[in-house]
Amino acid sequence: MKKFLILTLLTLALFITGCGEDSADNNTLKVMLGSNVVSLDSAQATDLVSFELIADCIDGLTQLDAKGNAIPAIAESYDISEDGKTYTFHLRDANWANGDEVTAEDFVFAWRRHCLESTKYAYIMGAGVANIKNADAVTKKEADPSTLGVSAPNAKTLVVELTAPVSYFPALMTFPAFYPINEKFYNTLAAGTYGTSPETFLSNGAFMLTEYLPGSANIQLKKNDSYWKAENIMLQQLHYQVVSSSDNALTAFKNKTLDLVGIGGNQIASVKGDAELSKNLKIIPTGLLQYLSFNQDPKNHHAGALANVNLRLAISNAIDRESLVNNFVDNGSRATYTAVPLNFAPNAETGKYFAENQQQFSEFVSFDVEKANRFFDAAKAELGQDTFDLEFIYANDGGDTVIKVVQAIKEQIEKNLPGVTLNLQPMPKAEYLDRMTTNSYDIAITNWAPDYDDPMTFLTLWTTEGSEIAEHWSNADYDKIIADCTTGALAANYNARWNAMYDAEKILLENAVIAPLYTNASAYLIDDKAKGVEFHSVAIERVFKNVK
Amino acid sequence: MTKYIAKRILMALLTLFIITFVLFVLIRIMPGNPFPVERMSAEMIAQKRLELGLDKPILEQFADYLKLLASGSFGNGTSLYNGAPIKPILIKCLENSFKIGVLSILFGTVVGMLIGIVAAMHKGKFLDGLCTVISILGVCIPSYVFMIFLQYFFSYKIPFFPYFFDSSRFLFSSIMPALSLSLLAISIIARFTRNEMVEVMNSDYVKLAEAKGLYGWELIRKHILRNALIPIVTVIAPLVVDLLTGAMVIEKIYGINGVGKLMVDAIAGQGVDYNYVLALGIVFSAMYICAMLVLDILYGIIDPRISLTAKDG
Repeated sequence: MKKFLILTLLTLALFITGCGEDSADNNTLKVMLGSNVVSLDSAQATDLVSFELIADCIDGLTQLDAKGNAIPAIAESYDISEDGKTYTFHLRDANWANGDEVTAEDFVFAWRRHCLESTKYAYIMGAGVANIKNADAVTKKEADPSTLGVSAPNAKTLVVELTAPVSYFPALMTFPAFYPINEKFYNTLAAGTYGTSPETFLSNGAFMLTEYLPGSANIQLKKNDSYWKAENIMLQQLHYQVVSSSDNALTAFKNKTLDLVGIGGNQIASVKGDAELSKNLKIIPTGLLQYLSFNQDPKNHHAGALANVNLRLAISNAIDRESLVNNFVDNGSRATYTAVPLNFAPNAETGKYFAENQQQFSEFVSFDVEKANRFFDAAKAELGQDTFDLEFIYANDGGDTVIKVVQAIKEQIEKNLPGVTLNLQPMPKAEYLDRMTTNSYDIAITNWAPDYDDPMTFLTLWTTEGSEIAEHWSNADYDKIIADCTTGALAANYNARWNAMYDAEKILLENAVIAPLYTNASAYLIDDKAKGVEFHSVAIERVFKNVK
Repeated sequence: MTKYIAKRILMALLTLFIITFVLFVLIRIMPGNPFPVERMSAEMIAQKRLELGLDKPILEQFADYLKLLASGSFGNGTSLYNGAPIKPILIKCLENSFKIGVLSILFGTVVGMLIGIVAAMHKGKFLDGLCTVISILGVCIPSYVFMIFLQYFFSYKIPFFPYFFDSSRFLFSSIMPALSLSLLAISIIARFTRNEMVEVMNSDYVKLAEAKGLYGWELIRKHILRNALIPIVTVIAPLVVDLLTGAMVIEKIYGINGVGKLMVDAIAGQGVDYNYVLALGIVFSAMYICAMLVLDILYGIIDPRISLTAKDG
């Protein structure tokens, strides 16, 4: 017993003496992640956190500058054919971290693999987004991967063939699905292990992994000295810490454990009241649209009252969006009255965002109780009933904000439209997603963030095919406009396409397929030393390679 | 003895089989699908289910799963969530939880027994009362509350320990979580040690030993503790497994890559990762069953009378 005791005390003493204070804090940036990285394999990644880390480590053909414009990365330059359907990228001399040269073959390999393996983002290669030749057939395993419209005539030239012109193609190349993977390196790995550890992930970008495990709470990256622009990278170490509670994040920031943290709406007031902290507060607008999805399937288990357009319009016009963002969300988010949210998709000529004019569709989306009741009276007459019991589902693990918003909406609608009852149904996210895909809900609060810098990233959600997943709405005119704009006649005409997208949005909103609520903003606390962090509203949220 | 052990092992395997079956069926009838993706079409989900064999009847799926399990892999061996292989990650996480668990067991047992011994020696006096209060507090305060308390005072107010778990300073970072985890063990072990010792101290043979002139540590070690140990071992065994399998909340808030956090992420992440939940469930159950098995065998060693009766039966 005595020996055991001494041994224990000795071990404990060893632990405590074996530790010192943190060393070398200079040039290390410690950043909070709000959730786990899903995967560093771009074919498996489905979330912004994963995209951010992949972009830290891998450069694609192009990259985003501070303002969100596409500028050259691995591609030094590119040529577009006259019909806009063939892109020829000329690659610069760049190396992978193991010394191999980055070649056009690496892109061909990665793109073919993406079509075969990705589930959620296979669509991004295909018709409607990148329009790469044969992408959909390869994805559906109906064509051989070698028929995909991407080829490497030599190591430094990449040729991409499209089925229709894509005005945002260079910017789309910043999306991780289009990043290269070193084929030789990949083939040395055991199946399924790519991107699961520092040893199985090869970087050609500004940073490389030093510590990572799928699902791990802390991830460490260091500067990649073989990066083609290594002399411009000042940051030596980039550490990520997954913190699930924003209270914990705030304390960690005050404690200087973390240099950049995201905080919730309920903390902003207290941060603003703190003279020191308020200097570090930064509100970053995003392109994430929070909206109500109406299930319009008449076969829906609640007899489909929401298949009635007037009932949907009544609900949409009975919501006080300004009150939602000012009193409940309270983090700089902006009330939104369009189906395409604010802060993204600038016009190539004017530079103005697509959704700049929020009054454009006020006839259909506004806060006007009188108008809402006119719609409601029409709905009551058409449906022959005075009371409506609707099921309102939401995921209860999405944080306090959503819960507050949902309760506020219930209160507003029940007050402004007497006779409507919203039955709130919180549930775990997995069940919530299942309810949406299996058509068993009336109203759901949901959101969507842009995958690429074009309004189509939203508008394609509500085509007949797209809305089969949730809203079950179908409109031939709408489908035609979307088809024309993506792969049809309008694809090559920038201005005509731009205007046609407004026409499509109008159809969407006069039918109240969804009720837009607000475009989200993120509130960050950023330490003074983290100068030069770039924020974007599309796909890659934060870029750290230009931190000075 | 051999027959006794063989019977126990057989029972253990049967128990594990039943647990695996129940888990397997329960997970599949839980609401929610394992593909955590918003706006994934029914067609895409059906395709995925087909690829993973989730469209087959449950019993057939279970048979397939058992075959794979027998060959040493958990299902098709990958996470449904991100396609990463389960085994290496599970091993790494088990390793992390184990290290912290061992530290907390060490701490919990030593401190718990010391408190128990002190209380028993001073039965009915102030120290006994103090020890009782400590052990009641230990049972009442959840370990993660204590963890938050430690984190606040010793990482934030007095920044001595790291605020989040830092794997490059593993042992140093492990101290606070190990301390918090051992709180319950300390209380339970202290209470048991005290009660058992008090009982043994009142027995005739201890009184006889005292009459023969034995006293102090010698008496405690040779006569009291050894006899008081059996019931204590009974409590320690399941506690050990509890501590080794990680603490879900502590691992989550302190950012430790352990099995507890893995379990929370697998269940409460975006999708229910069948493969992970099952793999973890099987590993946890196997550990409990092993602990119980070892316990049964240990009984025989500590108290030879038990194995004697077993030989007869």
